[in-house]
Amino acid sequence: MLLAVRHSTRYQYDEPVRESVMELWMQPQKRTHQRLISFELEIDPAAQLFSYADTFGNAVYHFDIPQPHDKLTITARSAVETEPPPALPTQLDRGEWDRLKSDFVRGEHFDYLHPHGFTGPTESLAKFIAERKLEELRVRDPLSAMRDLNSILYQAFAYEAGVTRADSPIDHVLKARKGVCQDFAHVMIAICRGWGIPARYVSGYLFTDRKAGDRSDPDATHAWVEVFLPSLRWVGFDPTNNILAAERHIACAVGRDYSDVPPSRGVYKGEAESELAVGVTVRKARAAVSEPEFLRISQPAPRPGQRRSQYSGLAYDQQRQQQQ
Amino acid sequence: MVKGTSRVELQAAKTEAAGRAPVVAATPLPYDEMRDAAGKVRPHYAALAERIDTLSSDELAERQKTLERFFLLQGITFTVYGAESSTERIIPTDLLPRIIAAEEWKTIDAGLTQRLRALNMFLADIYSGQQILMDGVVPRDLVLNAPSYRREMQNLYVPHQAYANVCGSDLIRQPDGKFAVLEDNLRVPSGVSYMLANREASKRVFPGTFRGAGVRPIDRYPDLLLTTLKSMAADWRPNPQVVVLTPGVYNSAYFEHAYLARLMGVPLVEGRDLVVHDNMVYMRTTTGLRRIDIIYRRVDDDFIDPLTFRRDSGLGSAGLFNAYRAGNVVICNAPGTGVADDKAVYAYVPEIIRYYLGEDAILPNIETFLCREPAQLSHVLANLDKFVVKAVGASGGYGMLVGPHSTKAQQDEFAAALTADPENYIAQPTIQLSTGPCLIEHEIDSRHVDLRPFILCGEKIVVTPGALTRVALRKGSLVVNSSQGGGSKDTWVLTDKKDLQP
Repeated sequence: MLLAVRHSTRYQYDEPVRESVMELWMQPQKRTHQRLISFELEIDPAAQLFSYADTFGNAVYHFDIPQPHDKLTITARSAVETEPPPALPTQLDRGEWDRLKSDFVRGEHFDYLHPHGFTGPTESLAKFIAERKLEELRVRDPLSAMRDLNSILYQAFAYEAGVTRADSPIDHVLKARKGVCQDFAHVMIAICRGWGIPARYVSGYLFTDRKAGDRSDPDATHAWVEVFLPSLRWVGFDPTNNILAAERHIACAVGRDYSDVPPSRGVYKGEAESELAVGVTVRKARAAVSEPEFLRISQPAPRPGQRRSQYSGLAYDQQRQQQQ
Repeated sequence: MVKGTSRVELQAAKTEAAGRAPVVAATPLPYDEMRDAAGKVRPHYAALAERIDTLSSDELAERQKTLERFFLLQGITFTVYGAESSTERIIPTDLLPRIIAAEEWKTIDAGLTQRLRALNMFLADIYSGQQILMDGVVPRDLVLNAPSYRREMQNLYVPHQAYANVCGSDLIRQPDGKFAVLEDNLRVPSGVSYMLANREASKRVFPGTFRGAGVRPIDRYPDLLLTTLKSMAADWRPNPQVVVLTPGVYNSAYFEHAYLARLMGVPLVEGRDLVVHDNMVYMRTTTGLRRIDIIYRRVDDDFIDPLTFRRDSGLGSAGLFNAYRAGNVVICNAPGTGVADDKAVYAYVPEIIRYYLGEDAILPNIETFLCREPAQLSHVLANLDKFVVKAVGASGGYGMLVGPHSTKAQQDEFAAALTADPENYIAQPTIQLSTGPCLIEHEIDSRHVDLRPFILCGEKIVVTPGALTRVALRKGSLVVNSSQGGGSKDTWVLTDKKDLQP
């Protein structure tokens, strides 16, 4: 499938800010079943772009804008060719649980086996596991357990934007029983790691197909989960849409949780409120790629004490976009 | 003269009595720096002992006053967090120098060099191939789950593999007279300014004895530090710009930051003086931006870059770490060195030395119990009154329990903390630190002392022939940290007479 992505991010400040420094995790990965054809970044005000590979192997772009500015727009355009991953077996043997305990798996995927940030065990998670009798899934082989977990999470939570935020812990979604893809992914990762299955957070885009039953928002970035099963290697599950990650998914970055791979993050200096707007279009290529009609206004982030007269050198954390 | 001698002997006797107090009855007597078991003055202390004998109590008090005036005039102060009084106070300093014989120093020098070499190799390994973890010498989760382990450092190029450029190790002398390492400080060790200032002061109070003793000079430390820092710069930057990065005037070691910057002749900057543009680091000056090559940072890892590390930090500069990653600036000590001085990793240092160098550790460790091991935890819990328990992440004498000097309530509190979070604690047997003569309330008395030498590591490793001797000023106390009310004194490392002959 040939897909074209346009991802615009706009920060608007009510007063000029300066010395913005930003990092972007926006470039689609080059990986099996996903070929990156082109990637362009446009920054306004213009800035020199630099890049590096982070610990998890993602391409990170970064830049800084020293002069005062009241608007910052980032437009990422990419073209990607994806192909469906090979069909999975209906089930694995139960020996897979033992293979997961091998030194190699435990060493190689150390980071994806331990709680980090959003994906730690909490009381409400334990309650949720007990309530949905999730422990019983472990009687079956890991692949079947993951498939079932994927659909249980799909059923347990309603998709609704605006309930949770980019920095919401999983307790919020577990309490409200609604949220967006970022929350569902975090819950699934926390459960998998608790069971000793390496699981990582994948940030990217989805070519949304309403007819296939997708409920995630087509105008936003997407996130899902990859789990490591030794005989199949990384397998992608999308609990938001109750499907396996396949050719409609475009992976940009992998990490332990959202905080490792936000599409954009940065800091700036200046006493100003910022407003973040994000627009994403994913189209089949060769079809006319139109500009997105509107930008989604994200919830303003309250920053306690921001207006207090601290010395002007303090850097402020840029608001981050939630993955939906 | 006779009077003086008897006073010293009397005090020595008192110390012995204190050493036999019921709490520490089972432990052997501490090693006395000045006198051997028979009460005879050790040869390297002879000159000092003779000089003290000629001085009356008043004369000693006079000298102590001179010393304190010197410190006050120099503004040599530090801060105790949480203390109610004013923020800064003069560091309590003792008049009488601590003397180390040439022969003993040779062992210390070799031992510290070996240790730092191995620790730098360890850091280079865990931030690249992680061979030592694969071979199971150090448990993987001990390193990778440590908060001081920085994934951002993975696969970065560090010149000369010198991660820890400035290291201050804490040594103690055990009752048998052998030195052992109590702690490695590889993050942002402080105290070196007191070493330099103490020397200036002791030259003033014992000029004659100092000249005659053949004390090895330490005045070159600032030069050596600057050379070490410059050796970390890229070859194509022939005249690298070095700066000292301080968290600001409210930091407990601010005096030291300013002192070192002045002695090295380099700018002292705060995070807000720096700006990162196009992956280069600049400082704002009255004549515009000036590019920086080396940052000797005295700010903790967490705070150096709000973009990469703690996002609420106002002490660093955003984008600094990306510039470091690109090789456009060098941060000394490298971020992430803290994982090698972690108190739990400490227990494995002799193994680490054997693994990388194939040698036995010249300076031994103190026996350490890791509470993360259930068997060792239950042993510690059963003997809380005999152990010193320390939190793995903490430093500076905060968050520790000295068993024999603790109350039952304190022990219960720690027992609860240990059971709740065993991974966070280690325990060591209570060590009798050696004692040295100190002038306390116009009398000479014995107090427990430790030793913190400073090691520089750039292109090569240099151990400064001097150290900060910290004194536990309260009688019988074993806690020497300056943040816990300890004092310091000058340390004389003597020249080997053989080295002097042509």
